[in-house]
Amino acid sequence: MTAIELKALTKRYGDRTAVDGLTCVIEPGRVTGFLGPNGAGKSTTMRMILGLDRPDGGGAYVGGRRYTDLPDPMREVGALLDARAVHGTRTARDHLLWLAHAAGLPESRADEVLRQVGLESVARRRVRTFSLGMSQRLGIAAALLGDPAVLLFDEPVNGLDPEGVKWIRELMRGLAGEGRAVLVSSHLMSEMALTADHLLIIGRGRLIADVAMADFVRRSSGVLVRADDPEPLVKRLTGEGAEVRTVADGGLVVGGMEAGEIGRAALAAGVALTELTPQRTSLEEAYMELTRDSLEFKAVAV
Amino acid sequence: MRARALRAEWTKFRTVPSNLVTLAAAVVLMVGPGTLTAYRAGEGHQGAGVFDAANISLYGGFLFAQIVVGSLGVMVASSEYATGMIRTSLTAVPRRARLLAAKVTMFGAVALAAGQVASFASFLLGQVVIAAAGAPAATLGQPGVLRAVAGMGVVWALVGLVGVALGCLLRETMIATTVLVAINFIIPIIGPRLLPEAAGAAVTTYWPIAAGLRITTTVADPARLGPWAGLGLLAAFTALLLAAAFALFRTRDA
Ligand SMILES: Nc1ncnc2c1ncn2[C@@H]1O[C@H](COP(=O)(O)OP(=O)(O)OP(=O)(O)O)[C@@H](O)[C@H]1O
Ligand SMILES: [Mg+2]
Repeated sequence: MTAIELKALTKRYGDRTAVDGLTCVIEPGRVTGFLGPNGAGKSTTMRMILGLDRPDGGGAYVGGRRYTDLPDPMREVGALLDARAVHGTRTARDHLLWLAHAAGLPESRADEVLRQVGLESVARRRVRTFSLGMSQRLGIAAALLGDPAVLLFDEPVNGLDPEGVKWIRELMRGLAGEGRAVLVSSHLMSEMALTADHLLIIGRGRLIADVAMADFVRRSSGVLVRADDPEPLVKRLTGEGAEVRTVADGGLVVGGMEAGEIGRAALAAGVALTELTPQRTSLEEAYMELTRDSLEFKAVAV
Repeated sequence: MRARALRAEWTKFRTVPSNLVTLAAAVVLMVGPGTLTAYRAGEGHQGAGVFDAANISLYGGFLFAQIVVGSLGVMVASSEYATGMIRTSLTAVPRRARLLAAKVTMFGAVALAAGQVASFASFLLGQVVIAAAGAPAATLGQPGVLRAVAGMGVVWALVGLVGVALGCLLRETMIATTVLVAINFIIPIIGPRLLPEAAGAAVTTYWPIAAGLRITTTVADPARLGPWAGLGLLAAFTALLLAAAFALFRTRDA
């Protein structure tokens, strides 16, 4: 099983550091969501994994090797960076054909992946006549061509209709289910919540969070509790392993425990509750909270 | 592995329809105007002075064809940057020297093959019209003629490779094509008319394309380089540009 390892990966463009000492492992068998605001360094990181940009420090390794040292790169890694980066006068099939030839794959693979992404009916159409969504599908077909153990997708749902978004989500889940490492970048936490098992969140090139999706969800939800006499309740709840925060107006936000359990704990502690409201800070809000300090481009209120 | 990269480059080249059309256009541009020039030269023949029938049938068309071949070479490299496909190419063939070597080999072979077709066609048709105009035509069996005609095909390949090198170095199609036209057309053809006499003579003698075309002559000119020395100079210049392209391509971000 092949993983991607980033070790203190760093890239500078002039005096700005686009990727700043990134260290993490993208494990096989799961979808890793790569999140960060515009300009956070997601695409740059992916380009360095693929040996397109040269790191200024550290390194990126696929199965322990640099991409440029892989003997058969397309059979190990498939990538979709920019769906529009194709020669418009080539047909979809011809685009996959030269890739197949470069990887030493049989031409039948081109037809197989075209079928897999649902483009077989337009296989012989020129790529410049494709909609963005069709181009994305072609890019995904190219990534799947070598049946690789590692897949990188840079904002693959860009321009897809809801049907396409759902299709990609299922595709990625399926690929990870087969034991592949899938790294997918996005701006949308809501989309990642449905797709990713794990999150890598970066801001200004630095790692902000490397966390399991389930933990992130747990962390960002809670139950708002008000009680006449909070002291014994807090003691009881923390004793049972919950996280308790006091909010401004004296209420409590309890994490890691369901409302029902809290009610029973209150009964046991002999405390009367005046409010018990499950709260789901949206994941989007939790994500924005995390990246607020590293936003590069903010809208200014006027 | 190298064979795969080469095969992929050929597939890339042939699956863009305009590439093959452009190549055919270059052959037509060589043969058409070449034959016309040869006929006019035949008509003007007075019987006196040197009359290099082989060279005459090759040179006139080449002036047009070389711009097309060179530009096609530029496009082979620069279109990858224009479309962004260079990144896909480098994920498929991550070793930079291997990718560029495959491109150079593929296009060098394509330009050489097309060049030989154009050169032989231009020569054979040219001799027919020269004879028709009443001037002494050449045959492939005469001394130096086969060398001149086959050499013309080699010059095609070298001009094409200069284009590939410039396209890779400069990345922008417009800029690379402009530089190419300056190197292969403006400086060697217009330069000597504008420059002081000594400098003009140096350009005529030593400018790479001017020197390289000596291979297409069958009459010695003591003031100019010999056929092989001239072709060698053009080849060395091409190799130098390619070496620069390889060096830069290996180090820069894609
Ligand atoms: N070739 C380049 N030259 C100079 N600066 C660059 C280059 N590529 C990226 N950058 C800079 O590096 C930073 C990271 O860019 P990158 O494209 O990796 O961000 P991103 O996370 O992919 O953003 P987005 O979500 O908008 O796609 C940005 O500040 C960007 O301006
Ligand atoms: Mg990006």
